[in-house]
Amino acid sequence: MSASLVPACSAMLRRDLTLAWRRRGDMAMPVLYAVIVVVLFPFALGPDLALLQRIAGGVVLVTVLLAMLLALDGMFASDIEDGSLEQLVLAPQPLALMLGMKVLAHWLTTALPLIVIAPLLAGMLHLPAAAMPALLLALLLATPLLSLLGAVLVALTAGTRRSGMLLALMLLPLCVPVVIFAAGAVAAAQEGLPWVAPVAWLAAALILCVVLAPLACAAALRIALDS
Amino acid sequence: MATWIPLWLHKLGSPPTFYRFAGAVMPWAMGLALLFGVIGLYGGLVLAPPDYQQGDAYRIIFIHVPSAWMSMFVYAAMGVSGFVALVWRIKLAEVVAMESAPIGAAFAFITLVTGSLWGKPMWGTWWTWDARLTSELVLLFLYLGVIGLYHAFEDRRQGARAASFLAIIGVINVPIVHFSVVWWNTLHQGSTVNIFGHSKMPWEMLWPLLAMTLATKCWYAASLCRRARTDILALEGGKDWVRAIAEAEGAR
Repeated sequence: MSASLVPACSAMLRRDLTLAWRRRGDMAMPVLYAVIVVVLFPFALGPDLALLQRIAGGVVLVTVLLAMLLALDGMFASDIEDGSLEQLVLAPQPLALMLGMKVLAHWLTTALPLIVIAPLLAGMLHLPAAAMPALLLALLLATPLLSLLGAVLVALTAGTRRSGMLLALMLLPLCVPVVIFAAGAVAAAQEGLPWVAPVAWLAAALILCVVLAPLACAAALRIALDS
Repeated sequence: MATWIPLWLHKLGSPPTFYRFAGAVMPWAMGLALLFGVIGLYGGLVLAPPDYQQGDAYRIIFIHVPSAWMSMFVYAAMGVSGFVALVWRIKLAEVVAMESAPIGAAFAFITLVTGSLWGKPMWGTWWTWDARLTSELVLLFLYLGVIGLYHAFEDRRQGARAASFLAIIGVINVPIVHFSVVWWNTLHQGSTVNIFGHSKMPWEMLWPLLAMTLATKCWYAASLCRRARTDILALEGGKDWVRAIAEAEGAR
């Protein structure tokens, strides 16, 4: 049983990454969306350097969050349509582990491009270079957290028709602490203060979520598909 | 099965028995809620002396504080019955959890509205991004998410189970709301009323507050009974006992 776990995990990961690669255009959509949102801010607020510098960190964080929210909806959609998710539930391998692999694949295909583009977005808003490491580290910890939390909620809405707005409503309360700590780290770095504490909080939350969220996701999926 | 639990507690899990039980409890709970409410409001708005600093504006606490307590209490009740619904698959627990959500959302909304009405003259602002205000707002969003998820499913029982799961995840916010004034240095004042120790509030102001708390608790019980009865009828429509009730109502 345990011998078949590693091949099953890698097969799951390879399948999801291949599926994402075959539809590369979809992968670019969240990135384009993030660029468009960030470009709109200087138009709306005026190109005042001091103002843009002050809001840069928060704007990039919220933009990345919204772009991820757009992509979250499709995490299990195609698998539910063609019935492969039911097969996954019936598979002998633990469902939580398989879903963890799916979340990892989803994070690699949607959040990683956003993190790569984040320095450019922050640069467009004139974020000081000194705050860049804090922003990247905060994003590296915050985006998998959002993916994991989002996966639980997407699994809960798996049996429903209209889930887009509902997902936003449900994710908002859960992502508030993530945004607070991530933005706190960037703001502290911008003012030259030590920013390790909020990043450590994010890391602690991420470790907790890596352990608990796949289990919660599996339980939620069993509830949502149980009909 | 545990033998120390009295038999009537098990029987209450059956929808027809609960329907009759809730019908018997509801008028009493509503009557008590009105009685305590009238006493509390008279004591709070007429008998209690004005505050030496805030004048009469402080009297909003007789609505604000009991609603805030209830918004957390109802969420905890929803979380517990949601847990019971998921673990033991008791139909009635699903009904109680889902019918608690709109009541709790209403209490959270009243808390936020009365708080901002008080905040304008006292703090000089309707709203501030303070830990307690924000966490109460998050509580309201959690309620709305639970209600929204419940109604998104076509199958009511499946929707109730999914929403119960979401409610259990959100329970983590209740201690955050409660301890937010302790953990962070906030604009919102710390707790004045202390159940186990000495309250920093004179008795003339405290007793109307406690009466209002009892009133909101009874009102929750009455409202929950009424909502649960309606929901059970809809859920059990087509069963014999519902048909008997419908025919008896029709004959009248």
